[in-house]
Formats: sequence, structure tokens, C-alpha cells
Amino acid sequence: MISVASLSKRFKLYQSPADRLKEIVLRRSFHESKVALEDISFVVESGSTLGIIGQNGAGKSTLLKILNGVLLPDTGVVDVGGRVAGLLELGTGFNMELTGLSNVYTNGMLLGMERGEIDAKLPAILEFSELASVISHPLKTYSSGMVMRLAFSVAMYAEPECFLIDEALSVGDAHFQQKCIRRIKQHKEQGGSIIFVSHDMNAVKVLCDEVIMLDHGKVVMQGSPEDAVNHYNYMISTLDDDGETVKKDADAPTAFGEFSARVRRVSVLGSDTGTQVISAGSPAEIQILVEGAQAVRDINVGILIRNTFGQDIYGTATWKHGEKVDLATGESWLFSFFMDMNLGIGKYTVSVALSAGDNHLESCLEWRDHAASFEVISGRRDEFVGMCRLQPRIVTKKLGDIGVS
Amino acid sequence: MNLTIELTKRDFAERFSGSSLGVSWLVLAPVVNIFIYIVVFSELIGARIPGVESTLGYGVYLVSGLLPWVAFSNTVSRMSTVYVDKRHLISKIRLDLKSFPVFVVLSETVVFLFSCVVFLAFLLYFDFEMSRQMIWFPVIYVLQQFFAFGLGFLLAIFHVFLRDLKEFVSVSLQLWFWLTPIVYTFDILPDYASDVLHMNPAYLFIGAYHNIFVFDSAPALDSLLLLFVIGLSLILAGFFLCSKLERDIRDFL
Repeated sequence: MISVASLSKRFKLYQSPADRLKEIVLRRSFHESKVALEDISFVVESGSTLGIIGQNGAGKSTLLKILNGVLLPDTGVVDVGGRVAGLLELGTGFNMELTGLSNVYTNGMLLGMERGEIDAKLPAILEFSELASVISHPLKTYSSGMVMRLAFSVAMYAEPECFLIDEALSVGDAHFQQKCIRRIKQHKEQGGSIIFVSHDMNAVKVLCDEVIMLDHGKVVMQGSPEDAVNHYNYMISTLDDDGETVKKDADAPTAFGEFSARVRRVSVLGSDTGTQVISAGSPAEIQILVEGAQAVRDINVGILIRNTFGQDIYGTATWKHGEKVDLATGESWLFSFFMDMNLGIGKYTVSVALSAGDNHLESCLEWRDHAASFEVISGRRDEFVGMCRLQPRIVTKKLGDIGVS
Repeated sequence: MNLTIELTKRDFAERFSGSSLGVSWLVLAPVVNIFIYIVVFSELIGARIPGVESTLGYGVYLVSGLLPWVAFSNTVSRMSTVYVDKRHLISKIRLDLKSFPVFVVLSETVVFLFSCVVFLAFLLYFDFEMSRQMIWFPVIYVLQQFFAFGLGFLLAIFHVFLRDLKEFVSVSLQLWFWLTPIVYTFDILPDYASDVLHMNPAYLFIGAYHNIFVFDSAPALDSLLLLFVIGLSLILAGFFLCSKLERDIRDFL
């Protein structure tokens, strides 16, 4: 179990390190303070995973470093109750001139293992790393991927009470990554705890039991992964709004048509998040605001969802659903498409078409590519792979014995 | 402790990695040096020490002061930059700032022991009459390194805040070497200089080595005691300062 109580840390910013000595001698302040962490408290029970999210500079790394014992807090109590190993210190002390084996020993001891312990675990470490055949070669002959694998393997077998994991996990090939995640899950089942820092909201949702979100060194939200991730996405999107996305709409380089009616605004909102980040399978709304420059009879509003490879994933139009609207000059209408976002994890764009009649090729009022974008992240409900969520009904039935004894 | 030994080993591995003669340099280098000092200085040039009969006298005088001085000065200079040199470790894993630098002392001691073995071999080869007082040798060395650790420890803490300390230390050690009677003898100095020299802490152990190797007399016990007291005070001061400044040291690295 890890407990942290009212932890605070400020960094003193000096012009030069020598100013710190001047301070001691002259008893005057020569620094500016920057708050890195303020009044942080949390508890991670054995066998559970705490996620820490937040933007760059929110204090995540500082917190990890304090938990790891590399930095000391100004105030507050940190009780890690045993060996803490981070995947932050992957490959600490690796020397490229020395052999893989000798690096395993040094690195292992730096992670807090005894020599005898490493002797005992060596076969397992080598097997995990899949590097047994080259372990007596100098590290400089390894590819960078192999070095990472060796580093991970040692860390995985350090068997700490608590693993501190940051983005490091996102490097390396997929096969090896899976292996590491399996090993970490095992560690968790055996009662170890994990603190996981990431920008990858999918990973946070999948791995964590509880999440705290940091902003400017303070805990701004603490709760279930779903809530925290939604909160995070909301915060990110508010930042985006006064930045790039608005400008992109205004430029609208990809729009064409007669423009007798105009698409004024397109937005995609997940109903659970209120942002354009939507959990797979959860309800969402695509809103299109249309203004009539001239009167248009029987206007048809179509949408087309594409993935990042530009493949058409799904398209439909109001006319096909029997919605008929006559648009008068100067009128503005809001068209909302409500749907469950049964799509695979990934980023998507929405293109919008306004036409009169059922085919926009006859009279295209406006065709706007990439009018909006959204992202689908994994939901916690039913995990699936692939591009769409088909929601199967599963029935099992025993047919009898086939008589093999 | 385990970690200190591992760091010491690692220190050697790094020193000799990639060199084809490897650890044999630990023997080869002192062989060449000691050969020059003993054979060239004593036998060929014929330098003599007043009051010592043996032709080897000056050579032994020189080597018995020089070898410990090299160990001392290497320990101090490497200790003084240890935090900055090992920042890649300190900033990543939990290391005890007070104890892990001991590996520098151990590592330099191993180098020293190799040179001592070579020195001893020379002495035996030349049939040098060895004094019984030489049993003091390990005691003096331990006290000397105790002092070196204390001094280096303090300097290491300051070095984090004052990076030019490194240059200062290397220049000072040069100066200190010439202010200590290693190459020359105490007797050639004018009176005012010898008064000042008594305040030189390095003379406390260099003088003791000279006593046991060359002058066949026991080291001055009050010198050794004083050396111990100075070493202890430095270490205590270092511990105090390190506890006070540990947070800042870690922040700056």
C-alpha cells in the first residue's frame, strides 16, 4: 500500500546554483519559487492501480520522482512501504561497452536486487527478454529495441511492491509490449500496486482502478477512470477551442458548391463526455447548423464518417430518414444526428453535404470535407477489436459427447 | 554495501572496457613509474637523502610518499565531482547520498594496492632492508583515506552549487603536492617554511610513511590522532551539510 498525505513541493529557480550558497551565507532570498505540487493526498491499496493524468507540466513527473525517492518533498508524508521500482529508470547505468549480462547485474542491483536474487532470476529474465543468445555480447552490438527489451526485462523481475510506470511502456514492439502488460497484470494479481502515468487515455481506462488528474500541481479531480478521462478530454477541448480548430473551420479550404445554403457549424459531441472524444458504443450527437442564403425546398443534409485512412466508414442523409425541411432565406436550422458510436478505436472525420433532392450530385449546395473530427476511445463495456462494434448475441449449446475417452 | 561493491566493480569495468590489456595496466603502469623512480633516480642519477646510507634511499623515499599521495589526490578529486558525475544515477534511482560515494575510496584503494605489490616486489628484488615499523602501513593508509573521504565529501556537496570547484580542486591539489615534502625532504626547507608546513595535514600521513619506510622509526602518534580528528570532523561536517542540503542537491542535479 502506498499513501501520500498533503504532499507539497516547490522548485526554487536560481540564476545559477551558486546563488543557493549565497542565500545561506547572506540569509537573503535569491530565488523565485515555482509550485510543482500542492497538497497532494492519495492512497493506493495493494493490488490496485492508480492512474495519474494531466497536461505537460502538471506535476506528474515530479510526483513520480518523489515516490521513487529521487526528489524530496518540502512538506507532507510519503509512505511507499517497500521497494518501489519505476519503469522510469529503465536501463539506469547501462554501459554500452559492457556485455548484456554484466549490465543485467549492475542494473538489477541499482534497482535494489541482491546479487543472489539476480542469479536466481537470471534464467527468467533472459527468457523474458528473448536475448539469451546474445547476452555475452557488448551492449553496443544490440539494436535499440533489444536494449529496451533487456532494460524492461530486468525491471519486470525487480518485483517491487509498487511499479511506477510512465510513457516508457509505449515504446518497443507490440508483441513485447503485450508481454510486459501481462507481466504487470500478474504483479497486480499478486497484490502489488501500480502507479501509471500516461497521456494515453485508452490505456488509462483499461488499466486503472482510480485516477487522479493534476493541473498546475493540484489534484483537480479524483475518481473513476471514466469520469477522470472525460474531465481530461473536456479540459483539453476547451483549450483547443480558442486555438486551432476554430481557425480551421473559418478557412474551410475543402468546401465547394453553389452555396445557396451554407454549413455554419458542425460539431460532434459524446453525450457522456460532452466533447469530441467518445467512448466506443456510447451515445453521441452530430450537430449541423445550416443557414439559407436563398430559399431551398426540400433540403437534404448528409453526413459521411471517414477514418484516418480516408476510408468511408458510414454515411447517411436526412432525406433517407424521411426528414424533409424547406429552408427559407435567412433561416437557420439545426440538424442533429443521434447515434450510438459503434466504431472501433481511432480518429474520424465528418464530412457534410447539403443538396436539394436525394442526390447531392444533381444540385450540390455545399460539400464540406473534414467539417469536424472526433475520436473514439475504448469504452469499458465490451472490449472488441476491429472497426465496428457489432453487438453479437451469444448462445452456447452442448451438442453431446463425441466418444473419445 | 552490496551496491557500493557493485559500483566499485563497475568503476573498474568502465575504466578498462575496450582496452586489450585491461586490468594488467594496474600492474604495468606502476612498474614503469617505480622503475623510473627507483632505478633511474637512485641508481643512475644517484640522488641521496641525508642520513640514509642505502643507494635506494631517495627512490624509496620518493615512491613511499608518491604512491599514497596519488591515491589521496585521486580520491579527493574524484570524490569532489561524484554527485555531478553520477547524476544520471542519482536522478533516477534512490541512492543514499552519504554512503554511495564510498565506492571512489574503494576503487582507488584497489589501484593503490596493485601499486603497493609492485613496490614491494621492487624492494625485495633490490634487497632493501625493510623496517619492522612497516606494520603501521595499513593504519596510516586507512586514516589517510578517511581524511580523503571527508574532504572529498564536503567538496562534492559544494561542487553541486559551484561547478568551477572542479578546476579549483585540481589546481589546489597540484599546489598542495608541491607544498608537501614528497619530492624534496623536510630538512632542505628554511625555518619559516617548515613552521608553515607543520600545518599541512597531508604532511601528517606523508611524514608517517617516510618514517616507517626510510627512517626506520614509528609514526608520530599525535600526528595520526590529529589526522583522525581532522578526518572525523570533516565527515561529520559533511553529514550535517548533506542532511541540510539534500533536497537542494537533488533539485539541482
